[in-house]
Amino acid sequence: MPPLARWLSRRLALTLLVLWGAATLAFVGMRLVPGDPARVIAGGVQAHATPEVLDAIRERYGLREPIVVQYAVFLGRLARADLGESYQLNQSVGGVVLEQLGATAALAAGAALLGFALALTLALLTAGRPRARALSRAVEFCAISTPNFWIGILLLTVFSFHLRWFPVLGDDGVAALVLPWVALALPIAGVLSQVTREGLERALDQPFALTARSRGATENRIRLRHALRHAALPVLTLSGWALGELLAGVVVVETVFARQGVGQVVVAAVNGRDFPVVTGVVVLAALCFSLINTGLDLLYRVVDPRMRQAAL
Amino acid sequence: MSLSDDAATRVEDEPVRKRGRLRSRRRNIVFSALAAIVAVAVVLVVSLAGRDDHRPPARGAGKAGPVAGGTLRYAIAGTQVSLDPAVAATAVTGLIDRNIFDSLVVQTGADSFGPWLAKRWAISPDGKTYTFTLREGVRFHDGTPLTAQAVKASLDHVVDPATKSAYAASLIAPYEKSRAVSDLVVEVTLSRPFTPFLQALSVPYLGIQSPAALAKPVAEYEPVGTGPFSYVSWEKDKRVSLKKNPGYSSPPENASHQGASYLDDLVFEFVSEDATRYGALTSGQVQAIAGVPPVDAERLKSLPGFTLNAQETPGLNYNLYFNQTRGPLRDVRVRRAFSAAIDVEGLVKNIYFGHFKAARNPLSPTTAAYDAGAESARAAYDPAEAKRLLDEAGWTKTDADGYRVKDGKTLTLVWPFWAEGNKEQRDVLAEGIQAQAKLAGIKVDRPTVDTGTFVSKHLIGGGYDLIDVSFARPTPDVLRFAFASGNTYAKAGGNVALVRSPQIDHWVEEAAETSDPATAGRDYSAVQTEVLKQAYVLPLYTPVQLVGLSGKVRGVTFDAQTYPVFHGAWLGA
Repeated sequence: MPPLARWLSRRLALTLLVLWGAATLAFVGMRLVPGDPARVIAGGVQAHATPEVLDAIRERYGLREPIVVQYAVFLGRLARADLGESYQLNQSVGGVVLEQLGATAALAAGAALLGFALALTLALLTAGRPRARALSRAVEFCAISTPNFWIGILLLTVFSFHLRWFPVLGDDGVAALVLPWVALALPIAGVLSQVTREGLERALDQPFALTARSRGATENRIRLRHALRHAALPVLTLSGWALGELLAGVVVVETVFARQGVGQVVVAAVNGRDFPVVTGVVVLAALCFSLINTGLDLLYRVVDPRMRQAAL
Repeated sequence: MSLSDDAATRVEDEPVRKRGRLRSRRRNIVFSALAAIVAVAVVLVVSLAGRDDHRPPARGAGKAGPVAGGTLRYAIAGTQVSLDPAVAATAVTGLIDRNIFDSLVVQTGADSFGPWLAKRWAISPDGKTYTFTLREGVRFHDGTPLTAQAVKASLDHVVDPATKSAYAASLIAPYEKSRAVSDLVVEVTLSRPFTPFLQALSVPYLGIQSPAALAKPVAEYEPVGTGPFSYVSWEKDKRVSLKKNPGYSSPPENASHQGASYLDDLVFEFVSEDATRYGALTSGQVQAIAGVPPVDAERLKSLPGFTLNAQETPGLNYNLYFNQTRGPLRDVRVRRAFSAAIDVEGLVKNIYFGHFKAARNPLSPTTAAYDAGAESARAAYDPAEAKRLLDEAGWTKTDADGYRVKDGKTLTLVWPFWAEGNKEQRDVLAEGIQAQAKLAGIKVDRPTVDTGTFVSKHLIGGGYDLIDVSFARPTPDVLRFAFASGNTYAKAGGNVALVRSPQIDHWVEEAAETSDPATAGRDYSAVQTEVLKQAYVLPLYTPVQLVGLSGKVRGVTFDAQTYPVFHGAWLGA
């Protein structure tokens, strides 16, 4: 087997292990939460379900079986890529999540692009320039230390409610996405631009930068062609982290901007103790993480030739 | 700033780098501070500058008649899990479904009912059989005609355990069966006389559904009724869209408008964030919002082009219930002492700026059989009396923190805090109560609990001394829900004080069965007086639905259950 294929198959096995672990943790976690699932399914605290209704529910969802049997059934379904059926929505979990995935993907992808673009621009403009760097760092620290929630409210108040540039409700086009993108992108851009600048400055101090300058390369060329490539490695590493931030931020941003999406599904499912939906989303998130990290590891090899020669 | 710095300068910089760094760090701090100040200033200037712009035109510009057409967007908090009124218990579902479904009867006053889908009805002398005669020529949105069979299908659907009804079924617990006598006459049999039956039938949760729609598999459920608006789409956690039912012919007896609705579309937007909802209204992105935060209510009232509508909810107030089966609260003197220790009026006034009224009765004043005289039995705010009662009950000593002690035990009460259910700043009110109880020497513990613990350990397990809850429903039968011994939470009721009084049971049951309004009224008065005298409950405030409307919206009315009625609503200039 060629080394790359071997490496990929090992990653695949690892991914499966991660999925199994995440699914099991989610299953155990949801069972450890106190409360009778039947009552939860019947509508939670507000519900006035009669004992007969509760019995019917226990029967319907197999809640009378021993926990080990329930776990086995759960894993068996998972192996067939069946995430089960939502307790509350009378819909399959896969269907619920897929229906909302588009909205969340548009939000997260746009925010990630914007975040990276902002970070790169800021870092390239300010690396090695003390005054600009100080100014930009102050702004970055503000962005990092302000919660998504608050950024969202500020953006809404200023640009939607007062200036009326961007609608929040009633319009599902790109205009309604701008503010959520910015709210999600700012904290990520803050961190990434610090890391990128750090890397750029380190690279600019290296002898090869001096060599390039002595050959008459322009500053732009040195920064874009030489230094940026060196700065890219730590940024790639942090991208995995940024993805986590995005997923967490999506929940908050979707609430503040009253958008639909996976974040809202999770909030509703956790509040309503909709176990199948929660476990389904956890498994999907774990899958996303694994895939993206594998992709990033592949990218390392593209960016850094040394990785290609290292033992696989 | 350009990217092409002079490379030579950079190289020359190298030898003096050490000193340069020290100096630049100090400069950096100055820069950072400046940047922060500038950022804050920009935000402030922009938000202040924007404030006075874009004001919508003043209200009442012209007195033209109703105009047909347009879309009304109504932003509401919360979300829902099902659009089937027979399944859901969420308030949002009732609010939306009210526009899709008509009911058999309409509640026209505190305790009076008028014809709606049923043009008349008769009740058998034993109070167990109700015979409804339906209107002719009414059709569901899917074209199915309204028949006795449809009514039977709707009611049977509600009580079917497979429906997993969280609320509707509990409203008609004595329901036994329905029978289609003829095409338009349906006979409903109850297992016992039950006067709150008509009121139950008037709520949206028991709206009449198309039998064709109910016959479909659960996963394909769509709400199909006879109401003024028909269902278009539900984008989960985002919005529910309805459109005008052009053939609408069955408004309730008391409707201000006949025929089809003026609005073309009615859209409910789910916006759970208070600030976002409020901003969406004032910036014109929606025309109406539910749940105006009390802190913004005054501001909205003073904004030209907007109106604030306050509806006191009927039913049980937001009350604090004393678990009378446990610990120190078994002693009525301790319960009355707690009641006398709390200045409810003062707290409610300070927290809600006068938008919510302090309550002195477990029932809200807009409920039928509300007895204002009952409040004289209440242990009103009197700190000296609270101290005296505690002394009398044997809690004579105090510990180092000032809490009362008896037989070596501190007077401690557990009041679980279910954070997910918190709304209307009830947590702040609880802190005030906690502080005032402390002044009287009563320690109130507020453990924060998650939903599962709250239900299993506290609500069902009875592991609490105090618990707070409100329950809106426009009938005095809520007193049976809240105080009859058989109606504990575990049995799908609301008796969280765990009252076990044969006397109260007798009153509420007699009132639910009797056909004589005078007897019922007397019974309900007696219950109100008794629960206040025994201090099973400390009334806190009457919840108010604060609805914010753009001045363009005209003709919105509110029904007996405080649901907004959009049938006669229209959009002005």
